Amino acid sequence: MSEIVSADQILDTRGVRRDLGAFVVGAAFDRTGFACAFALGDGTVRIAPPGDGEWASVAAHDGAALSLAAGAVGRAWVSGGDDGRFMAIAADGTATEITAFGMKWVEKVASHADAKAGRLACAVGKLVHVFDAGGKKLKTLEHPSSVTGLVFDAKGKRIAASHYNGASVWFVASSSDTPRKLEWKGSHTGIAISPDGDCIVTAMQENALHGWRLSDSQHMRMTGYPSKTDALGFTKNGKWLASSGADCVVLWPFFGGGPMGKPPTELAGGDGVTCTFVACHPQHDAVAAGFADGLVVMADINSARILPVMGPGRGSVSALAWSPDGTHLAVGTETGFAAVVDFSKR
Amino acid sequence: MADTDLIPVTVLTGYLGAGKTTLLNRILSEQHGKKYAVVINEFGELGVDNDLVVDTDEEVFEMNNGCICCTVRGDLIRIVGGLMKRRDKFDGIIIETTGLANPAPVAQTFFVDDTVRAKTRLDAIITVVDAKHLPQRLADSHEAEDQIAFADVIVLNKTDLVTPEELAAVEAQIRKINQFAHIHHAQKANVPIAELLNQGAFDLNRVLAHTPGFLTEDDHEHNDDIASMSFEAENPIDPERFNAWIGALLAEKGQDLLRTKGILSYAGDDRRFAFQAVHMIADGDFIGPWKEGEPRTSRIVFIGRNLNRPQLRRGFESCQAA
Repeated sequence: MSEIVSADQILDTRGVRRDLGAFVVGAAFDRTGFACAFALGDGTVRIAPPGDGEWASVAAHDGAALSLAAGAVGRAWVSGGDDGRFMAIAADGTATEITAFGMKWVEKVASHADAKAGRLACAVGKLVHVFDAGGKKLKTLEHPSSVTGLVFDAKGKRIAASHYNGASVWFVASSSDTPRKLEWKGSHTGIAISPDGDCIVTAMQENALHGWRLSDSQHMRMTGYPSKTDALGFTKNGKWLASSGADCVVLWPFFGGGPMGKPPTELAGGDGVTCTFVACHPQHDAVAAGFADGLVVMADINSARILPVMGPGRGSVSALAWSPDGTHLAVGTETGFAAVVDFSKR
Repeated sequence: MADTDLIPVTVLTGYLGAGKTTLLNRILSEQHGKKYAVVINEFGELGVDNDLVVDTDEEVFEMNNGCICCTVRGDLIRIVGGLMKRRDKFDGIIIETTGLANPAPVAQTFFVDDTVRAKTRLDAIITVVDAKHLPQRLADSHEAEDQIAFADVIVLNKTDLVTPEELAAVEAQIRKINQFAHIHHAQKANVPIAELLNQGAFDLNRVLAHTPGFLTEDDHEHNDDIASMSFEAENPIDPERFNAWIGALLAEKGQDLLRTKGILSYAGDDRRFAFQAVHMIADGDFIGPWKEGEPRTSRIVFIGRNLNRPQLRRGFESCQAA
């Protein structure tokens, strides 16, 4: 990257930035791509409007926010906190409590947009609560141990949760409520599902990923990480699984018989700094990656070209999120730096 | 040194009725100007309003490495991660375990997880025991014995309910299991908080100051009772020899070795090296220099079952640099 004049060039010319003063727990654009929200360790949710306008601060949680996702519809988000509250946040800055769970933490939230009926979900201890788009509770799904990761499939038909000794996959609309149980011994700490819904991959305590192919019950083991994977996700076409936890972006090929027996592609490595967050582009074979020293890059997977977005020095990257159309990237760090970068053609 | 930036974690164990919650309430209500995050399992008993109380289910899992004693509390990994995101900083974390809990998983959590290790340090395991009922508990439960074996600090509570003779007997029973823990006599858990929190209990120089003397050489424990032993070496330790010896020892006997702690003088280094292990999981780091004129005696302590004194002594002595 020595030929680049400044690693901050894109941030300087195309970004808006704020020092928010607290750990950025999560970032998410609303479903329409209008605005971006940042959930913080001080319990607030900050909303960055289009352009360089004033960012609203919403007092969402009494304590720390722990999770953030887009709402099911419109200009809205949902957040969970260590105050036990599951909140709906609107772009105008209003915060509405969907449910309060007392002393228990709301550790994970998820949503799905659907033409007919959007869905919201949150994980509280061993329970996953599923709501309609308006926040009316539909059902509660119980797991054998605390839920550590929560994700809807691309169609919103199923919801998958990671926990000890595997993952559970539930049909959201089913009345019978028995999950498909995916078993693998150990503590599973995060989850992703392939766009076609056939592959479930979890991150594990033992610095590895584990996957299940649902169609033929094939197990997939992806190992070799020097540290835990905190972020993982598939590219839009499902060909690649991007993951953090190494000193580069680790991309497992989910085509041509992979990932079994195939080495992963490694991008943006060489500095010996741990990759802490990845976010796949919503349309192209590209991934945004953040590192422990604050560096953020965008990597084109097929050409292996790396574009620096933001240089090191603003705290370990703890959140990355793309707008639905892939024109804007949100960045957040542990020390409270946040930015929204505009990648659209000018 | 960087260690002081790490948030100290105090683990509070003890079977039901020993006075754990009384002690916790005292720690939280006393005006000491400190702020503690408290992780509990039996919410409702706690009578103090504290916005940093976290209610959790103790969720133990086996590490997927084929070692059955490598058990870890996954809920604590998540909670420590969550607490680190808060803006308002706190001075320590106190983890209360349930009465029947084996302390090993909670202790091992602070060795195994990189994120937890990067932010916190295990300060001390405090075990609260009831002077009146301890003999009966030791007779009928394995956990009571384990909790004493794991302790850095023991609060011998309810001393007002026993005669001086009974108290002496129960203290002797504790010492038989764990010679090295600091014992505080207490009534209604009235121990000065400063004696409990932020102890740096792994500083063996301090701990060994309370040691009532060494057992005799031919004392060879070979039964299921837990015992504790310590060894000294006058000459500097060769790090490579020590690592090879302790690694093999923990791999072979780790299930029987509940706790291992050592302060070592490495050849050619002016800093003290602190070593500690829970079962097979071990950790070590330099903890600052030896004091001027202080004899650089390396010490190691074992607490566990089936300890073979001559073998351990020979093993440790053979780690001295030639």
